[in-house]
Amino acid sequence: MDDDLEDHMMLDEYFKEVGISDKVTFLKNGQLALQYLEGIEDSSELPKLMVLDLNMPVITGSQVLLQIKQTPRLRNIPVIIFSTSENENEKRKCLSFGALEYLVKPITWEEGDRIARRFASFAE
Amino acid sequence: MVNLDNEMDLILAHKRAMKLCELTGFSLLTQTSVATAISEIARCAIEFGKSSTLTLGIDSIANRKFLVAVIGDKTDFSQRCFEACSYARRLVSDVDIKRTSRETQIVLRQQLSFSGTLTEAKVDSFADYFKNEPPISAYDELRRKNLMLQDLAEKLRASEEDYRMLTDTLPVMMFSVDIRGQIYYTNKWLQDYFGAAPKETSAAAWQPYIFQPDYHLFSKELTGSILHQVPLTGQYRFKEKSSGEYRWHVFSIIPLKNEKEKISQWIGFLVDINGQKQIEQALKDNRELKEIQDQLYQNQEELQKKVIELNRSNYELEQFAHLASHDLQEPLRKLFFYSDVLKKRYGLLLDTTGMNMLNNMTAAANRMKELISDLLSYSQLQKQNLRFEHVELNDILRDVVKDLDLTIKEKNAVIEIDNLPKVTGNVLRLRQLFNNLISNSLKYCKNGVPPHISIVSRPGTDQNTIIVRDNGIGFDDQYSEKIFGLFERLHTRDKFPGTGIGLSICKKIAELHNGRITAHSVVNEYAAFEVTLPELEKA
Repeated sequence: MDDDLEDHMMLDEYFKEVGISDKVTFLKNGQLALQYLEGIEDSSELPKLMVLDLNMPVITGSQVLLQIKQTPRLRNIPVIIFSTSENENEKRKCLSFGALEYLVKPITWEEGDRIARRFASFAE
Repeated sequence: MVNLDNEMDLILAHKRAMKLCELTGFSLLTQTSVATAISEIARCAIEFGKSSTLTLGIDSIANRKFLVAVIGDKTDFSQRCFEACSYARRLVSDVDIKRTSRETQIVLRQQLSFSGTLTEAKVDSFADYFKNEPPISAYDELRRKNLMLQDLAEKLRASEEDYRMLTDTLPVMMFSVDIRGQIYYTNKWLQDYFGAAPKETSAAAWQPYIFQPDYHLFSKELTGSILHQVPLTGQYRFKEKSSGEYRWHVFSIIPLKNEKEKISQWIGFLVDINGQKQIEQALKDNRELKEIQDQLYQNQEELQKKVIELNRSNYELEQFAHLASHDLQEPLRKLFFYSDVLKKRYGLLLDTTGMNMLNNMTAAANRMKELISDLLSYSQLQKQNLRFEHVELNDILRDVVKDLDLTIKEKNAVIEIDNLPKVTGNVLRLRQLFNNLISNSLKYCKNGVPPHISIVSRPGTDQNTIIVRDNGIGFDDQYSEKIFGLFERLHTRDKFPGTGIGLSICKKIAELHNGRITAHSVVNEYAAFEVTLPELEKA
């Protein structure tokens, strides 16, 4: 989930490299993400991993995170925060809300590749 | 009563006796007889007695009234005037001689043939007549005037004594000045205060007694007052002989004029107003204090306002720096992504020039990244985020040297570290500070000369100074303050890459520790950075 569509495209390039492009759903804001999760009736169909950007209009990534972790049905979905910059305060907050990891968006191709493979590991 | 001293008195005695006889209604013949008898005895008293007196009066014995004349003297003159007495006995009804231890008296009586009653009031009116009786002779006049004069002199003397006593006891200093300016009278109070007294009214004569800073004004005002013959009232400090203290006095001199409107003398007063003056001063000080206090409050309020403004703008700046660097990273990240994808997927399609351009683009993006990261770390330097503890500076330096190990080996650098003190500070930030300084020394070294860096400490009274000194290219000392400014750089990027933030961070860290940092250098010899940190707080 990211409000920047260009980021969707960029991430998708990494996902193509590691072969998980078809298993990823991109959503462009928090509202849509929560609606998407509500729309899944069968709990076994819930996503294997949620990757959330933090800086988003209307509902921020951390709010979505909190919502997920406070909803019993969604609580067990692993959530990785995927932010533009390292921010100690935000990181601490998100981890306390139950996020699995706090990752900074990659700058080099190698970093991006490594992150994509980490995401792919949840799809198995 | 008439004193019987000489011939003139005898005439007076005769005249008074005649007059009383006339007033009491005797016939002219009886008047003459009685007056002659009295005169005869009086003449004897003057001749043989000493300071005799004649008393004329009216007496009543068993309803009969008598005119009585008593001639008395301390000596028994009656022994020498038998003849006169026997003569007198023929002229008046009765002559009697009385002797007491103090005085001998010859008493003559003549029964009154006064028709009607002789009241007390009447007798008093006779007495009044003699009191107001016009002078009968030049002698009598002279005598009366003389007595009056003596009386006046006595009264004057008493009055002068009163005056002196009055002026001596009044709690003021007084003096009188004649028309030539000579002081001819001073009261005791003045003499006691000054120990001596000025001799004249000229300003110069007063100079030894007046407080020097007041002298100029005093001299000017006194001279003016005397010149224009007008009163003067002024406030000056005069020296008290006994204490040596200068006390505030009101000094006034007033010209006194006679009936012809001419100045006959001056009188002067000095009144001690020191207490009053002190209260005045205290009140004034109090008022000034109040004003200063008000001003202080006002300043404080303004300061408070400025602090609030400053805090806000600081906060806004931090927010800005943070957001800007965050938002700036976004396009940068994409730039990296595209150049990487471009190189990876389309690298083979580019010629050498195209590939160089792509590499230059990445290098530029890298500089941008560095700049943003430095700016971000600078904007995050805030006191409230720091934890302070006791820190061994030697530990810090050891870590820094370890971090820079690669460069140190690469450059063959020698690093000497003195025995450094313990300070109160934040480990991470102090490490950042010394890392920046040593990195700079390693960076700005002379070509072909291995860097030699020494870190020594210089203990002060309540602070420690750590000096980082190298043997590098140095800088012109005129830039020793400028180099700490944000984005300030002394070299072009192709010679020495950098963002110009490193030393700004050092300065900020030193200030966050309540310390400071200064730099000194000689071009091509050395650069030395002195970091001063407060002494270990006893926590």
